[in-house]
Amino acid sequence: MPAVICGYFRSPFTPAKKGDLANSRPDDIAAEVVKGLIEKTGIDPNLIEDLILGCAFPEAEQGFNLGRMLSFLTELPHTVAGVTVNRFCGSSMQAIHDAAGRIAMGSGDAFIAGGVESMTRIPMSGFNPMPNPKLAAEMPEAYTNMGLTAENLATIYEIKRESQEKFAIESHLRAANADFTDVIIPITTADGIVSTDGCIRPTSNASSLARLGPVFKADGSVTAGTSSPLTDGAAFVLICSEKFAIAQGLKILASIESTAVSGCSPEIMGIGPVAASQKALARAGVSLKDIDVIELNEAFSAQSLAVIEELGLDTSKVNIDGGALALGHPLGASGARIVGRAATILTRNKADIALATMCIGGGQGIATVLRRVE
Amino acid sequence: MMVIELQSPMIPSELRNHGHINKVAVIGSGVMGAGIAAHCANAGCDVLLYDIVPKDATDRSIIAREAIARMSKSNPETLMHPSNSQRIRPVNLEDDLHLLKDRDWVLEVVVERLDIKHSIYSNIEQHISKNAILSSNTSTIPRSSLVKGMSPSLASRFLITHFFNPPRYLPLLELIVGEEIEEDIFHRMSIFASERLGKKVILCNDTPGFIGNRLGIYFVQRSIAATLDYGFTVEQADAMLGRPIGLPKTGVFALMDLVGIDIIPAVIQSMVENLPADDPLHIIAGKGEEIISDMIAKGYTGRKGKGGFFRLNTEDGKRTKEARSLIDGSYQTATRNAAFTSAKVGRQGLKRLMTHPDKGAAFVKEILLDTFAYAASLVPTVSEDIHAIDSAMKVGYNWKKGPFEMMDSIGIDWLVGEMKSANIAVPEFLSLAAEHGSFYGIEEAEITRLNSTGDHIQILKGAQETTVADIKRRRGKAIRRNASASIWDANDGILLVEFHSKMNALDPFIMEILLAAVDIAESDGWKGILIANDSNNFCAGANLGLALFGANLGAWSSLEEFIALGQDTYQSLKYAEVPVVSAASGMCLGGGCEILLHSDGIVAHSESYIGLVETGVGIIPAWGGCKEMLARVTTEGLVGLGPMAATMMVFENIGMAKIAKSAQQAKDLGYLRGSDRITMNRNHVLANAKSYLLELAEDYSPPKPHVYHLPGPSGRSALTMALNDLAIAGHATPHDITVISELAKVLTGGECDHTGELSEDDILALERKAISKLARNELTLDRMEHMLSKGKPLRN
Repeated sequence: MPAVICGYFRSPFTPAKKGDLANSRPDDIAAEVVKGLIEKTGIDPNLIEDLILGCAFPEAEQGFNLGRMLSFLTELPHTVAGVTVNRFCGSSMQAIHDAAGRIAMGSGDAFIAGGVESMTRIPMSGFNPMPNPKLAAEMPEAYTNMGLTAENLATIYEIKRESQEKFAIESHLRAANADFTDVIIPITTADGIVSTDGCIRPTSNASSLARLGPVFKADGSVTAGTSSPLTDGAAFVLICSEKFAIAQGLKILASIESTAVSGCSPEIMGIGPVAASQKALARAGVSLKDIDVIELNEAFSAQSLAVIEELGLDTSKVNIDGGALALGHPLGASGARIVGRAATILTRNKADIALATMCIGGGQGIATVLRRVE
Repeated sequence: MMVIELQSPMIPSELRNHGHINKVAVIGSGVMGAGIAAHCANAGCDVLLYDIVPKDATDRSIIAREAIARMSKSNPETLMHPSNSQRIRPVNLEDDLHLLKDRDWVLEVVVERLDIKHSIYSNIEQHISKNAILSSNTSTIPRSSLVKGMSPSLASRFLITHFFNPPRYLPLLELIVGEEIEEDIFHRMSIFASERLGKKVILCNDTPGFIGNRLGIYFVQRSIAATLDYGFTVEQADAMLGRPIGLPKTGVFALMDLVGIDIIPAVIQSMVENLPADDPLHIIAGKGEEIISDMIAKGYTGRKGKGGFFRLNTEDGKRTKEARSLIDGSYQTATRNAAFTSAKVGRQGLKRLMTHPDKGAAFVKEILLDTFAYAASLVPTVSEDIHAIDSAMKVGYNWKKGPFEMMDSIGIDWLVGEMKSANIAVPEFLSLAAEHGSFYGIEEAEITRLNSTGDHIQILKGAQETTVADIKRRRGKAIRRNASASIWDANDGILLVEFHSKMNALDPFIMEILLAAVDIAESDGWKGILIANDSNNFCAGANLGLALFGANLGAWSSLEEFIALGQDTYQSLKYAEVPVVSAASGMCLGGGCEILLHSDGIVAHSESYIGLVETGVGIIPAWGGCKEMLARVTTEGLVGLGPMAATMMVFENIGMAKIAKSAQQAKDLGYLRGSDRITMNRNHVLANAKSYLLELAEDYSPPKPHVYHLPGPSGRSALTMALNDLAIAGHATPHDITVISELAKVLTGGECDHTGELSEDDILALERKAISKLARNELTLDRMEHMLSKGKPLRN
């Protein structure tokens, strides 16, 4: 039974520590978005099977099986279950895949799927990093710092710093020109209502980026300007079986044609989308040239450019409304954002097929193929 | 002019409990106004910061708001803690005057123009409360002119409170009162300034430049004149007029760069206008005028401008210090060794310097003879009290000794003789001193000063200002003493341990005295132990020279004994049957910080710079610093739960050698506990530490040992990974990795599992193991040697 996307909403994405959401708990941010999604899609909450929440560091304020706590915070009927899934940056895309899979099995008709991350309030790698000492000694790349994986790809694919910066500037320009107001749920904070994104810098230019020093490697090429910023935010979609959506009169944005995950070497985790996309395309029975819209999560410029080169992507189709370099990358929320954005662009452009894909720390890729529903 | 004694015990006790100043308004948000506002916030006051409304401004308080925003970026920091800025509210002079009604003190810090000041006073009078104190920070306008046209009620509450820049760091506050001032007003302000703002309050007569600037400007101007006469370079002049004569190394020209060259003509102009016609400043006031006005015209206004008499040239990526030629205004690389031989001779006393046969000595002698004669001629005009004048120069200009103390150290007779042969008129007061032999004396263990009528009278000093020197002078003989430390009876059953090794560096002698103090206190029924000294720095760590000497000889067993001795000593302090309180101030680093960490209580001067900086010399804290910090951050609630929480915070503090830049910041970092006390006035630290110790001594029982749960090898892997990332990013050197890896082993508890328990002894053993290994590393020895010879860490 095909699964369809019946709505996509997100919070504003704001910079960690200094942004407007820094003082807000991640569960509170997520709750407002879920409430907005339910209200705006018009779904009857009693018919929802499960709330599937992606989160990369599910501890502290993101702990206690946040998926379940969220069902209480959003005042869903107690009959709606809640679960938290973790695939690092791919967490909320995984949440969508879980929903689609369960629909295919006939294990439910309506799912809220999405994710949240406060990178202000829960540090990347958590409050108590305790890697396995044996693994860390024998295979240190298992725990490799993400920035260094981008440096590795820049070296392997000979991606110059200037190209990385050019790519980042383009991302900011596209994001600055895009209109996100229709998908943003304003968040009420102690200091007022936050309704706009905070990471986009339309004034980024070659000379401002050229002034930044390498962050991860002394003689490297990856800077703060060519890395996605630490971000706070949440994004959710409503996934239903097609039959249910039609019966309930829900607006359908797109159908989920195929999904895939794939592993790769952790020290080049950024190349993960290549294999995952190839699998997903094959499963959907389409080829790259059939794809009109591509959402490729921009963890780093170098990583995105390596994927673009390896897959031979047409950059005019990639991240049409800008990517994570400009918008930010709240780890647990990004997967739902790019799937939601791909579906939105399909509808807006009356295009046919979209691919959403992202890389994942530890060496993985995840991909989803969507088709617009007439 | 009424005479009021400034000393705290003279102040009626009922005034101590009322008339507190908590709500302050500062009018004018320029450098001084903002600096004073920040310092009042440091003192815990609620502050309104006023400025004008700029033309067409949408944010009508934008000037004050921007001044507050600049505070957090200032260097040196004006705020002792970033959160202090939240106590300051930006307001403006058009919309917000009604807010003045609840202010206890209103301070005007606007431009030095009488008409503007008068208009501010008349505008605010109707808004301020009948009990509020109003003051001006003017440095040039006499109080008598400021009160003209003021209502008697306001005039009776109007003072000059003259701060020195930067207000947080310079402890001098000149206070100028008038006959109509009520005693209560004066006492309220002096208690507030002394206890809350930590200022040395000096009462001055209402004369131009008061004390500090009157003498300071004469000295600077006299030095400029002599520099031109002798044809010296600015480097030569500063090299002679800085450290060799007991002044800060900025001497005269670098001092002007620091203060701002553009303000000099205005200050001199105002002095010339207001000083009596026979004042010697008139003779030299014009010297160097054209050089200075040319520099200002071209933007060379000092450090805030394009440079001044000195500048830092960073053109080719290097930082080169350059000096300006007084002849043609060109800049050349500054000469490092510009001092004459006499400068070195000066270490044996000023007289030796002044009598040395070289041009530098003649230069210094000419300036000092005139300056001394000038200082003596100012008594009793600026103040009747030479101790006040000396104090003003010491705390306002950072002179090691004031002019009268300098004269005493040289010998009055010789000076008078030299003045006569140089045709300098000998002031009456100096002749009076010659008759008595000196300006200062000691009678019955108390210091006396010569007053203007020729009597030696005791310098009154409140119990709150007691110093270690006072205790020693009164007591005469120590209970125990060796080359590096002494034990004194500090009255009331308190034993005082004073360090007096070079730079108070810790060595086995100090350990011996600390152990003896514990032993004596416990066996002879003393109430407690106070660790304190009068030095600028409490203790900057262990004697590195000694450690390096031992290491170079390969005397590993004696080095390890020294480590163990330190651990045993500090554990003895912690678990003594009597409480131990440390009086911290200035630098408290490395082993000095570890003494604080093992004390039951600390009274810290607000300007205490505390940290565990051992990694800078290639070792780790091994006198219980790791052990105490791991316990401390947990018990003080600075970190959350989880096996890594304490480890990560301490790893960051020690691994990055983080130094708290104020006592307030030290509480954030865990070097001070929440219950430790902060004292704003350096001179009150000892007395406050003693009262705290007496409080703790009532019903004292030693602390219970801490039980540790540490993350073991898993945690160490996480720290190692973070360290490797730092190395790849170029933020850690190879030897940093070696040193900090050893630190990681200690802080994660070695091979333990986080479900198990470790004792204090277990952590101490890990500390010993780590430092023994590091001490045998050549690169660590290179770091120590570099620190000893260059005074800064080697990044190897």
